[in-house]
Order: sequence, then C-alpha cells, then structure tokens
Amino acid sequence: MSVLIGGVLLAAGAMLFVLEPVFSGRGAPLYDGDDDHDEGAARRGVALAALRDLEYDRAAGKLDERDYGRLKAELSREALRHLEVDEGEAGVGGPPPDRASRELEEEIARLRRAIRQGMQCSACEHVNRLGARFCGRCGEGLGAGGGGPAVRG
Amino acid sequence: MLGRLYPRTAGSVTILGEIALWIALPVALWGTVVSFAGGRFGRSDLVLSGERTVHMVTLLLVLVSAGIIAAFVGNRYEYFYVVNYSNRELDTYFKVAGLWAGQRGSLVFWTVLLSAFSSIAVFRNRRRNREFMPYVSGTLLGILSFLLIVLLFADVNPFERLGFTRANGLGLNPQLQNYWMTIHPPTLYLGFTAFAVPFAFAVSALLTGRLDSRWIAVTRRWILLSWFFLTIGIIFGMRWAYEELGWGGYWFWDPVENASLLPWLTATAFLHSIQIQENRGMLKVWNMVLVVLTFLLTIFATFLTRSGLIESVHSFAENLRIAYIFLGFMGGMAVVAAILIIHRLPSLRSENRFQSFLSRESAFLFNNLLLVGVAFAVAWGTLFPLITEGFFGETRNVGPPYFNRVNIPIGLLLLALMGIGPVIAWRRASRSNLLRNFTIPLAAGGVTLGVLLALGIRHGFALATFAIGVFVMTVVVTEFWKGTKARARIAGEGFLSALGNLVGRNRRRWGGYIVHAGVVVLFMGLAGAAFDRRVVQELVPGEAMTVRSALGAEYRLVYESLSHSRPRAAEDMEENDWRWTALMTAYRNGERIGILRPERRFYPVMDQASTEVGISSSLLEDLYVIPRELDSQSDRASFEVKLLPLVPWIWYGGMVVAIGTLVGLWPPRTAPATAAARRRAVRGAVPAGAAG
Repeated sequence: MSVLIGGVLLAAGAMLFVLEPVFSGRGAPLYDGDDDHDEGAARRGVALAALRDLEYDRAAGKLDERDYGRLKAELSREALRHLEVDEGEAGVGGPPPDRASRELEEEIARLRRAIRQGMQCSACEHVNRLGARFCGRCGEGLGAGGGGPAVRG
Repeated sequence: MLGRLYPRTAGSVTILGEIALWIALPVALWGTVVSFAGGRFGRSDLVLSGERTVHMVTLLLVLVSAGIIAAFVGNRYEYFYVVNYSNRELDTYFKVAGLWAGQRGSLVFWTVLLSAFSSIAVFRNRRRNREFMPYVSGTLLGILSFLLIVLLFADVNPFERLGFTRANGLGLNPQLQNYWMTIHPPTLYLGFTAFAVPFAFAVSALLTGRLDSRWIAVTRRWILLSWFFLTIGIIFGMRWAYEELGWGGYWFWDPVENASLLPWLTATAFLHSIQIQENRGMLKVWNMVLVVLTFLLTIFATFLTRSGLIESVHSFAENLRIAYIFLGFMGGMAVVAAILIIHRLPSLRSENRFQSFLSRESAFLFNNLLLVGVAFAVAWGTLFPLITEGFFGETRNVGPPYFNRVNIPIGLLLLALMGIGPVIAWRRASRSNLLRNFTIPLAAGGVTLGVLLALGIRHGFALATFAIGVFVMTVVVTEFWKGTKARARIAGEGFLSALGNLVGRNRRRWGGYIVHAGVVVLFMGLAGAAFDRRVVQELVPGEAMTVRSALGAEYRLVYESLSHSRPRAAEDMEENDWRWTALMTAYRNGERIGILRPERRFYPVMDQASTEVGISSSLLEDLYVIPRELDSQSDRASFEVKLLPLVPWIWYGGMVVAIGTLVGLWPPRTAPATAAARRRAVRGAVPAGAAG
C-alpha cells in the first residue's frame, strides 16, 4: 500500500515538475547573444589558427622558406576572401571590405609579433594586443606566468 | 545483503522501479512533442518543460535501475529476468552486474546511461547554444521514448513476473562471472550512449539550418568522450576474452565483437574528418553521413549483442522479435536523416577543393575511406550468415580468415597514414616538405626491416607492422622533439616545461599523437601473434615440461599437484562452483618466475563447465597455460601451454591510447569567456592602462 502511495506521489511530482513552466509561463532562453556564434568570427578564427600553425611549423623547421611563403600567401588570401564574403552577406552595417582586410592584416601581424613576444593567453589562447597585461577575453594575467608565446603545437 | 536484512525494503524498491518505468514513457513522449514544438514555434515555456522532462526521465530511470538491482540483491525469484541471470549463491558483486547481464537489463542500462548523458548535455547548455537545444532535447527524448516503448511493450519488460516464486535462480553464465565482464559492458555502453549527443546536435543543425562547424565545435568533447569509452570498452572485451575464453586469443571476429568495432571505426573516421571541416570547410555532407551512421551502428551493436539475431560465442539469444523492432527503428532514423541531409544539400556545399593528392587533406580522406572500408568489410562478414540464409536458405560463416585477409592489409595502410598525416603539409606538399619530414622516419623504418630480415624473420605482415610501426613512432617522437625544441627556444623555457606547455596549449593535437603512439604499440602486440608457440603435454605431479619461445627464452613448468573443492557432503552442493586446481611452478631460463593455478570449474546450477587459464606475464611475452583435462582420481593432467610474444603490448598500447584520449579530452585550464570574466578583465586591465 505504501508503495502505491509512493508511486502516486512520484507520478504527481513528475507531472508537476514537467508541466510547471507551461502553467507559470516561465521559459528557457531561445537565443543566446553570444558573439562566439558569429560565423565570420569563427572563420577568421580558423584562418588565424591555420596561420598560427604555419608559424609554428616554420619555427619547428618543418617548412622551408619557399613553402612557408607560398602557404602563407594562400592562407591569407583565403581568410580574406571568407571575410569579404561574410561582410557581403551581412549587407549594410558591416565594415567595408577594405577595412576588413586591414583588420585581418593587422591581426595576422599582431599574431606574428605575439608569437615572438608572448601575448597569447595561456588559458583561452586568445591573441592579445601588444603590451596587454591581462587577457582581453578571459581576464587571465599575461605577465610572467600568464602569457606564453603562442607556439601552438 | 540488503535483501537479507531488509527483504521488504528491497521488494518495495523493485515495485517503485516498475511504477517509475510506466511513468517515464508518457513523460518522455510529452517532452519529445513539446521540445520540437517549442523549437518550431518559439515557445520558451515548452522548451523549458522539455528540458525538465530530460532530467525527470533520468531520475525515473535511475529508480528503474535501482529497482532491478534491488530485485537481484534481494533474491526476488518471482521475476523472470532475475531468475534467468542470478542465483542465491552468486556474489553480490555479480548480482549488481545482473543489471546488464541479459537483454532486458541491458536495455534498461542503455536507456539510463543515455538519459544521464542527455541530462548532462541539456544542463551544460542551459545558457549556451540555445537555438540548438530544443531539437537536441527533442531528439534525445525521442530516442528515449522509443527505448521505453520497447521495454514496456516488446516482451522485454525486466519486471515481468513468473506468476510464482522459484526457490532459486538459474544462475549466471559462468563466462560472465569475471571481473572484466562486470566492467566491459558498462564501458562500451557509455561509449555507445555518449554518441547520441553529437547525433542529436547534428539533427538539430540540420533542422535549424545552422550548418557551419558550430555543432561540431560544441560536440567535439562528446565525440572524444564516446570514442574514449568505446576504445577502452573494446580493449576490456579483448582482455575478458583473453582471460576467460581460455584459448589464448583476444579477438575472434565474433559478431558481437564486430558489432562493437563497427561504430568505433566510423567514429574514428568522424573524429578525423571533422578536422577537415573545421580547417577547410570541406566534407560537410560526409560528416553528417558519418555521425548518423555511427549513431545507427551504436544502436545496431546494442541490439545485436543482446538479440540473438546472429549466433555468436557470446550467445545470449533470447528474443528475436526485438531485433526486427530495432531494425525498423534504425531504418526509420536512416530515412529521416537522409531526407534532412538531402533537404540541406545546398547549404552543405564544400567551401574548398582538394588541391593535391599529396596533402594532409588527402591523407585524412584516405584514412576515412580505409576506415569506412574496414567497417564495410566487417559488416559484410558479420551479416554474411544472415545474407546467405536469406538468399540461399543455408547459413554460411566467413570466419576469422576472411576478416584477417581483408583487414590486416587495410590496417597496415591506416598505420602508415598515422605517420604521414601529422607531418604532410596542408593543401599541397612540396618535395622539400616531404624530404624534410620523411627522410629520417623512412630510414628508421627501413633499418628496422633490415634488422628483422637479418634476424631471420620472414613473416610478411609482421615485418610490415614493425617497419611501419617504427616509421610512425619516429614521426611522432620527432614531432614532439621539434615542437618542444622550437618552443623552448622561442619562450626560453626548460625542456620539460616547454614540453608540458606545448601539449597543454593544443591538447587535441598532441593527445592525438599520443593516441597514435599507443596504436603503434598495440599493432605490434597484435603482430606478435605471428610468433606464437604451442605445446600440449600430459603430466603427473612432479613432472615438468619445457617450451622455448620465439624470443629465445626457455620456459619450464613443473606440475606440482592437483587440488579440488568438489563437495563431498550434500550441504556443500549449493556452492556456486566446484573447482579443480592444478598447481604449477614456472621458470624462465632457470629462474623461478611464479606459481600458476590453471583451473577447471563446474557450475552445478547451470550444469556448465569452464576453464580458468594460468597466465604469467612479462614485458615481452605471456606464458599462457590452459588446463585441458584434470583427473582427480589419478592426478594426471594434460596442459596446453602457449607462449604469446608481445601480447602484453596490446594492453600497454591500450593504456597509452586511453591516456592520449584523456589528454585531448581534458578541459582547458580556464573556461573561456564568460561575461563575468570579461567584466573582470576590463576592470583588471583598465587601471593598468593596457586592456586587451
């Protein structure tokens, strides 16, 4: 008998828990405004990661200067194209292509300087501006302990 | 114990579990409907209700599992399932494992693991990836609903009663009374069920039309987690076969083994091909196909193991009807997935083309084709008996020779790709790139081949395995060496901290290399089978036998005595098993290495006999003693002694693979970019005048 009462309570509890949002009107978020979702940012991230790997491969002696130069040119061109396509799709509101390409060039240059000078965040791998002391994404310190060079294996 | 002390409590827990099973189905069905509806119509209340449903179903299924375990531990022999997989004399340990000993419990276990993973996925994404989540919950709850319907209506209800109470159960199959057997199925099931999460995200990506790499980025760790459990689950299974089946092998190409290998093969292909999508925006359709295929194969593996569709050495044949229900489910899922993929084809176009045959992309693509090729060959061989029966009316088996002939050469090609893929350049490899990276590894492989030939080894596949293995190992070690050196130079770090940081910064890549190294060791262990030695001899106590191993060591085994635990009095008859144990002292090159206790057991309740082998393991080889006949009248005994070179490497290699996977799986040191961290960053950085 007590088991049956337990069963009825269980069923009632389950119903209450599951149906409560419908009656109270409470809801779960349908969208999240996280900018990580931005497709352009994702592609830029991939392009930069590829360039970063390239820098690493060169440093490790796996690529000679000719291969390095050729691949770097190809990668940069492609990254740029992705960026422009995205800006085009986005229509009005996005920065014009020339600004976008400038941005990317800057970012790549920053990355390469960072690789030498150690501005990539050790926690989240975000490449920070030169001279930054804290990671702009996660807040990790970039000092002696925090920011290691961006040699990505 | 619980049963003896609190028999009524155990009974109540079981009944409550049964009630929970009935409540779970309508709850799961509700959740499925409201999740999809909530996503489709943008109703946040329905989405929340669906997500709560996931957690509620998990809770209910935990109660169901507890109910089954309580029935086992409490010796409730009025339940059909308990009677068939337990008896009073069984250790409590194995009674708890009764939850996954048979088809009915296994289905419950599968379902509870799936719902637990679903809960974790829903909870972790309660504020992230929101546009995916309604469909993710809906898909997972849909699968759970299907499993619950099967449990309740397909003659596999674990709570089915006999109508009377038996005095004792029929006992657990002796081969399942083994330590490895208690952990091998749960591990595999964790692997199978974890893969449902990437599948649900893939379905969600197809439904929402968000077809970039986001769904892959979100589920990457789930894929690795699933792969981790699948891998160690398969290796545990090999270990179980090796210790328990008593014939000195670890892999039989048995349908059940094959069934677990199939999703592993496609999951491995998937793990590699998603990197092409992430890096190059290619193979999007292929990845969708692989994720669906892998999920369907996990379902296939689950029901094949427990359905008796194909007779196997595991032979747990029980209920054939359920096989058809599962086949129908798989077919339905395949059709829905195919329609979705075809519908989204325009959005799944490749962003790039293959530029050259000599490139990392090609290496990955070959890896995929080979893995899927192996999967196809294994599936064909496994289903061959069914196919011949269907078309020609007679069952024919292809047997291990078929599998070995097809799969060993492909396996060796895959092994070689493990050395090529990581160092060949993306896009297009130049002559210089190839020369720079392959000269030393190829030379190392060549030298290995020469040395082995000079030593008189003529076994083709073994030679190839060792030569290619050394080639791959050299590539991996060189990668670590060059990377560490470069990092140490640029960062001014010591060698060890440079190595640690190198791996720490890109765990996925370096973890992958560690996995490759482990696979090389494992393959070499498999190749050791080419040098097995076997001697059969009859001995009386005091006599010895000698075997010389292929590696040059001489083993001597002295048969000391035979003891037996066969009960003499009637009250002892209730022992779970009777044992005849031979005592043997083993010597290697004259040095005593230990005592072996090969054993024959008889399980009176099951009326079955089993063999427990004696194993003495060293770094390089195993001494494996199978008792064939033990005569307790005369104490004469005949033994089959096997020397199995490099078998221990299979387990060492497996451990390295597991470690490598964990390296790839380990979360980053800090969780990236939460809003709070960003605010902290701004507060911390601005006063210093150097915001990032």
